[in-house]
Amino acid sequence: MRAMFHDWPGLALKSFYWLFVLYLFLPLSLMVAVSFKDASFISFPLGNLTIDWYAKVIQDKQFLDACLYTIMIAAATTAIATVIGVWIAMLIGSLRGATQYVAFAIACLPAVVPGMISAISLRIFITTIDLPTGTVAIILGHVVHAVPFVVVMVLTRLRSMPGNLVDAARDLGADSTVTFFRVTLPYLGPAIFGGMIFCLLLSSDDFVRTFFLGGYRPTLPMLIFARVQSGMSPEINVMATLVLVVTAVVGLYAEYLTRRSRIR
Amino acid sequence: MAVGTHAAGGGIPVRAAQMKYSTGIARVIHSPLYRYTLGAVAEWRYGRILLLAGVPVVWMLMMHIGPIYEMLRISLLSSYPPQPGVEARFTLDNYALFFSEKLYWMPLLRSFIYASIATAVTLVVVYPVAYYVAKVVSAGSRSRALLLLLAPFWAGEIIRIFSVIMLLANRGAVNVLLREIGLTERPIQMLYTSFSISFGLVYMVCLYMLLPLYSAIEKIPKSLLDASADLGAGPFTRFRRIILPLSRDGIVSGCSLVFLTCMGVFAAPILLGGPTTSMFSETISSFFHGASSRWPAGAAFAMIMLAASLVTVGLFMRVVGGTKQRTF
Repeated sequence: MRAMFHDWPGLALKSFYWLFVLYLFLPLSLMVAVSFKDASFISFPLGNLTIDWYAKVIQDKQFLDACLYTIMIAAATTAIATVIGVWIAMLIGSLRGATQYVAFAIACLPAVVPGMISAISLRIFITTIDLPTGTVAIILGHVVHAVPFVVVMVLTRLRSMPGNLVDAARDLGADSTVTFFRVTLPYLGPAIFGGMIFCLLLSSDDFVRTFFLGGYRPTLPMLIFARVQSGMSPEINVMATLVLVVTAVVGLYAEYLTRRSRIR
Repeated sequence: MAVGTHAAGGGIPVRAAQMKYSTGIARVIHSPLYRYTLGAVAEWRYGRILLLAGVPVVWMLMMHIGPIYEMLRISLLSSYPPQPGVEARFTLDNYALFFSEKLYWMPLLRSFIYASIATAVTLVVVYPVAYYVAKVVSAGSRSRALLLLLAPFWAGEIIRIFSVIMLLANRGAVNVLLREIGLTERPIQMLYTSFSISFGLVYMVCLYMLLPLYSAIEKIPKSLLDASADLGAGPFTRFRRIILPLSRDGIVSGCSLVFLTCMGVFAAPILLGGPTTSMFSETISSFFHGASSRWPAGAAFAMIMLAASLVTVGLFMRVVGGTKQRTF
């Protein structure tokens, strides 16, 4: 039977897959390559290579500041979004029927609304509640965006949880708080961890919400956006490459951890 | 995590019995401070409901519904943010403005066309890839094959858009390659055209198509394919009669996701597009910037875009979906 799949359709699919991988990686690898270019403009072929741009970017105060700012916002977003996301998931998990459906739809709303509209509506909303644009507004916007993803991940895990675990804990005299912290929360662990990594990446990547909610202090995507608009230079490539490396390491590490927990 | 695995083997009762409250959380729970406040609330039936539902309900009403509601409200006002001496009154003018000038509705049409093209292209391109990973690749190396496709998406929106410029610029890789081969003498203008926008959109969103398609195709039992092959169906018949209908859920949710994302895209048209390719996001954003800021009009336009994209997705689900939609 396998032989049937290994004749021409299989082969065609395989080559198509690798072409697609090439398509995904080619622009990014070109971007990394240009970061070593020994000229102040972007063009091919590369010619001489240098790491001067890296030295320059590492000393770029604006870049370092943007890095710190991005990490700070991402950390705050992750902490808040995880708590709220798990809380909402617990609520939805305990509901039944139509209420559950409605609650789930509302919980997922920010993930479905197109990014631009979400950003605009939040911009209007923070004006209504008299919150100035800036760090708090950015974090709020990122949390709203990240919560649905945490909810979905946690809910998926919650569904696979045997109900008798909670019953057993309650029979043995644990009150609902103890049960939640000692039984449910540890069981949800892997999903929560995955959700947290997702929050980190989501927050540090976000552009449109930060653009409308932010003040004058740029996050990394904002900084790169502004630099691209004001003129190309391999400096941008260096910044993007550094960000790329860091996010890839975080992503791979998370993938490794989740896979390990799945095997165990 | 560790407790979870114990639990599966029936370890929890033992653990709970041994639980002489030696850990930090238990000490908190046994402190009078907890017992007479939160603990008392948790004992009481409605208190438990309050603990469980309070924060989520407030959060969802305020932060999930609130902004959209505010946007709707503002879009019906004559002026916002409130200014001293100016009375904001109810009006539909902001919506009428949209239909009054081509300058306003043309970008929405353009956004719509780009989003549809990107959705169609992504579906056609990603489907074979998703199928390959879900059904042809052996189970052992499947997650590695998937990881290879996911990895580029950690880079983030702006960086991926920027990397597309490397490929398409006048002195970018494609043009240099074409010149080296001798196909062209002077560079073809690819950046800042509708081509670069479509290319960039597809490059940005193909992950949103891949994951739903993959999980839908993966669920199709292999035995169905084997059975139909035994009964003499060729690859094309198998695809048309079995795989395609059974992956319909994945197609619907993938297309909806991609379409909605493309409609809401903001940075890509600015960085990759030119003056003739401006999309509706830019029109909306122009109402919120600079001296001519007219928030109610911007809010109305955003509402129009939201309605248009949701109605399109809803219709699409109705027509293609057929079966009852499962959201998760």
